[in-house]
Amino acid sequence: MDPIANNRAEAADLATLMARVAVRDRDAFAALYRQTQSKLFGVIVRIISRRDLAGELLQEAYVRIWERAADFDSAKGSPLAWMATIARNRALDEARRATPVALEDMPDSFDPAAEDVDPLASRERSERLAALMRCLQTLDAEKRQIVLLAYYRGSSREALAKRFNRPEPTIKTWLRRSLSDLRDCLSS
Amino acid sequence: MTLSVDDDLSAAEFALGSLDSAERTTLAARRQREPELDEAISAWELRLAPLTEIVPPATPPRDYLADILRRISGEAANDNVADLKRRLRRWRASAIAAASIAAALAIGVGLRENLRPAAPHEFVAVLQKSADAPAFIVTVNIDTRSLTVRPVAAPAQPDKAYELWIIDAKLGAPRSLGVLDQKNPTAPNLSAYDPAVVQSATYAVTVEAPGGSPTGQPTSAPVFVGKLIPTGQ
Repeated sequence: MDPIANNRAEAADLATLMARVAVRDRDAFAALYRQTQSKLFGVIVRIISRRDLAGELLQEAYVRIWERAADFDSAKGSPLAWMATIARNRALDEARRATPVALEDMPDSFDPAAEDVDPLASRERSERLAALMRCLQTLDAEKRQIVLLAYYRGSSREALAKRFNRPEPTIKTWLRRSLSDLRDCLSS
Repeated sequence: MTLSVDDDLSAAEFALGSLDSAERTTLAARRQREPELDEAISAWELRLAPLTEIVPPATPPRDYLADILRRISGEAANDNVADLKRRLRRWRASAIAAASIAAALAIGVGLRENLRPAAPHEFVAVLQKSADAPAFIVTVNIDTRSLTVRPVAAPAQPDKAYELWIIDAKLGAPRSLGVLDQKNPTAPNLSAYDPAVVQSATYAVTVEAPGGSPTGQPTSAPVFVGKLIPTGQ
C-alpha cells in the first residue's frame, strides 16, 4: 500500500495529487494522505517515540502540507521528500520543546545503511539518495553514524556527545565538517 | 551569496536536526527575515531529504484523515471571512457616506436638530470564536423586529444543539432566543425586546442539550459571540 518513494510512476501520481491539493482539491488531499501517512508517521515516530504525540504531529504536518501545497516545486525533489521535510521539521520543533532525549531512549544499535531501511525503497533508490549514500560512505563510520542519528532521530549535539562519549564541541566540529564534506562531495 | 560560512553551517545543522532548542529557535526566527539564510536552510533540507526515502513506514495509531479535514475546513471559512469583511467594509462605508451626506445637508439648511443622521434600521452581527472563524451571521431589522440567524461555518453538533442568547445589562440574565438550525436560517422572535436593547445587546451561542438548555440559562460558556453593527441601509 505504501508508495515507494522513488518509484517514478508513483512519484508522478503524488505530484499530480500535490498539484490538485494546491488548488484546494480535498479529494486529492485525502488520496495524498492515504498514500503517504505511514511514510510520514515513520519519519515522525523515529524522532518523537510517543505514538500519541507523534499522531498529533502527523495531523499538524498534513495541515501544513495543505496550507503550503502551492509552494511545492517538483523541480526540487519528490513530493514525498518535500512532505517528509515538513513532517520532520514539525517533529524536530517538538523534540526541542520537550525535555532532551534521555540516553535510554536512544536506540542501542542503529545502522540505517543496513537493517533500518524501507526494504522496498532500498531496491529502487532514487539517484539523489544513491549520490548521498555514496558521499556518506566517504565519512568515517563514527561520523557517518552521528550524522544519520541526528537526521533520523533528531539527536541534538548534547545527546550525541553523551552517546558517543565525546565533548560537545567535538561533536559540533565533526557535524559541521561532515556536512561540509557532504556538500562538496554532492556538488563534485 | 553573502551568507557567512558559520551561518551556512548553522543552516546545515538546522536541516540536519542537531541544534539545541535555543539555537533552533533563533535560526527559525532569523530565517523569517533573512532570505539568504532561509534559502540556505531550504538547500540543506533538499540535500538531505533523500534520506527520508529509506525510513521504514509505520502505521499511525489511528486514521486521522477526518480530524485533518476538520482542521483544514477553517480555510473555507476564511474565504467567507474575506468576503464578509469586504461586505462589512462596504456597509460601513455606505453608513459613513450616508451620515456625511446627512450632516452636510443638515449644515447646509442650518437645521441643528438634524445633525444626527437618521438611525439605521438594518444591523448585522458576526458570531465568531475568533476574528477568522465566523460561525453564524445575525441580521436584524429594528423596524420589523425581525432577526435572522444564518449558519456560515459552525461545526456540526450531531448530538447537541446551538442555542442563541441575547445578553444585555438591562435584561439581567441572558435570555434565550431559542435553538438554532445547524443548516438553515432561523428567525427567532424579538418582539418582546426593546429596540434599544436589541441594538446594544451581545448575541451569544452556546452548545446545549438537544432542544436547548433544560434550565433556561446557558449551561456552558458561549462558543460564538458578536455584537450588531449598522449596515447603513
